[in-house]
Amino acid sequence: MKWIKIASTDALENDEVIAVEAEGKQLALYRSDDEFFASDNVCTHAYALLSDGYLEDGCIECPLHQARFDIRTGKVLCAPAASDIRVYPVKVEDGNVLADISG
Amino acid sequence: MAAAALRGLGYTGRLVLVGREAHHPYERPPLSKAVLRDAATEEATAIHPPAFYAEQDIDLIRGIQAVELDRARRQVRLADGTALPYERCLLATGGDARELPALPRGTPGTHYIRTLDDARALRKSLRGGARVIVIGGGFLGLEVASTAMDSGATVTIVESADRLLPNALPAPFSAWLAARATAAGATLRLGARITSVMTAAEGSPPSGLILDDGEHLTADYIVVAIGLRPDVTLASAAGLEIDERNGGIRVDARCRTSDPYILAIGDCASQHRDCLGSHARLESWQNANEQARMAAATLLDADPPPAPYPWFWTDQFGCNIQMLGMPAQDLSYLCRGEAEPAAEAPKLIWLGHRNGVPVHGVAVNAAGDLRQMRPLFERGIRVDPAGFAGAATLKPWIKTCQQAAAPF
Repeated sequence: MKWIKIASTDALENDEVIAVEAEGKQLALYRSDDEFFASDNVCTHAYALLSDGYLEDGCIECPLHQARFDIRTGKVLCAPAASDIRVYPVKVEDGNVLADISG
Repeated sequence: MAAAALRGLGYTGRLVLVGREAHHPYERPPLSKAVLRDAATEEATAIHPPAFYAEQDIDLIRGIQAVELDRARRQVRLADGTALPYERCLLATGGDARELPALPRGTPGTHYIRTLDDARALRKSLRGGARVIVIGGGFLGLEVASTAMDSGATVTIVESADRLLPNALPAPFSAWLAARATAAGATLRLGARITSVMTAAEGSPPSGLILDDGEHLTADYIVVAIGLRPDVTLASAAGLEIDERNGGIRVDARCRTSDPYILAIGDCASQHRDCLGSHARLESWQNANEQARMAAATLLDADPPPAPYPWFWTDQFGCNIQMLGMPAQDLSYLCRGEAEPAAEAPKLIWLGHRNGVPVHGVAVNAAGDLRQMRPLFERGIRVDPAGFAGAATLKPWIKTCQQAAAPF
C-alpha cells in the first residue's frame, strides 16, 4: 500500500463531495456518515464530474444523466451507466485523508 | 429493460424478446449526439452486453418483426411464420419517425433519425463541410443540428412554430435557446412553412427548400425531425384501446392495456398520470425505463415502484439542459444565473411555479442545482421565489424552504 494525502478532513462537510487531484488522477472525495470514500471523478458513462453530483445515502448520482454509483464499492446502481466506477482505499490520520491510488 | 427487470425481480419462467432490428437492444439518446459524431461510441449504446441475454436466459429474437397479435389464441405471429404463445405480452413497440409527405423515407439525400442504421447513414453524410437543412426544431432536430455543426456542417433549422419547443419551454427560454443556436452558427427559420422541395433535375436528390416567404434554402442533405408516430400497429389491429388524442396504446398507472393479458410501455403507451389527471404519452428515456420497471412489477404482482418525477435531458450547443416536472399554461417563471446566450458555459435555471410551488424546472449546465431542488418539486413545498433568484448558493435556500415546510 502506498498512502498519500489527498485532503484534510475539514475540507468537506458531511454529505459533501469534492474534487481532488492526486498524482495526476482526478478523484471524487466523499464524506458520508462521517466516513470518507474516494473514487475516480469522471463518470463511466459520459464526461461529467461526480464531484458536481448529488450525494445521498451512500450513493453518488452523476449530474449529467443521473447514473448512480455506490461510493463504498463503486458498483453501478442504475442506467445509463453500465460500468462500475473505480474506488480507492481511504483512511484518516491526524486530520488528513489518505488514499492508496497506486496499482 | 423490462426483461432485465423481470429477471431482477426473480422471474424464472420463459422470456422471449422480439425486436425487428438486427442489432442487440440499444439506447437511442446517443444517436443524435455521440453516435453521430464518432463510430467508436456505438458499442457503448448497448443496453446490455451481448452475453447478457444468454446469461439471463432471455430468448432474444432479432431482425424479425412481430406481425400479428392474436388475443383469442394468446399468441404473437412473427414475419417468418413463427407463432409464439404467451401468458402475458408486453408491447414496447416504440414508434417511427414521422414522415414528411414531400420527402418520404428513402428519398436520396434525405435522412430520418430513429434507429442506429439511420444515425450511421447520417454520420457518413456529415463528413466534409456539408450544407444541411434540419426540418423540425424539436429536441431531436436541435441535437442533430448541434452535432452536425460540431462535425463541420453548415446548418439551417426550419421550424413551423413561431418559437422553439412551445409545448415544453417557457417563451423567454425558447428565445434564449434560439439565440444560443444562432450564436453557435446555426441559421434558424421560425414560423416557416415549406412551399416546395427543389431538385436540380427530374429524379435527382433534393437540392433545397423553398419557404412560403419566397426564401430559397440550398442544401446537400436534408434531415427530417418532425416528431414520432407511435407504432401501435399490432395493438390497433388486435382491437386494444388507443388514445385518440396522442395515438398511444391506452394503459393504466400499472401499464395494463384494455386486455388483461397485455401490457404496454414506452413511446407507444399513453399512460394515466395522477399528476396530470389524464393520460399522456411521454417520449423520454426516463419514462421508458420507469415504465419497464413498473410493467415488470405488475407482471409479477410485485409492489409497484414509486412514481418518478418527470425528468428529461438534452445536450446541444455546448449545454446540458435538464427539465424537471411538466410545463403548464398557468405557471409563473423566473430565472437565476448567467444567462448570456453566447457565453462559453452559461449556467442558469428557470423555475416555473404555481403560487410559489415549484412545478417545472429548466436547468442549463446546472443539473446539480436542479437535482438538489427535486425534493421541493416532489413534495410540493411552497418556496420564496425571490430568494431563489437572489440566493448566492442554492443549498442553504433549499434547506430553509424544507425546514419552513416541515419544522422539527
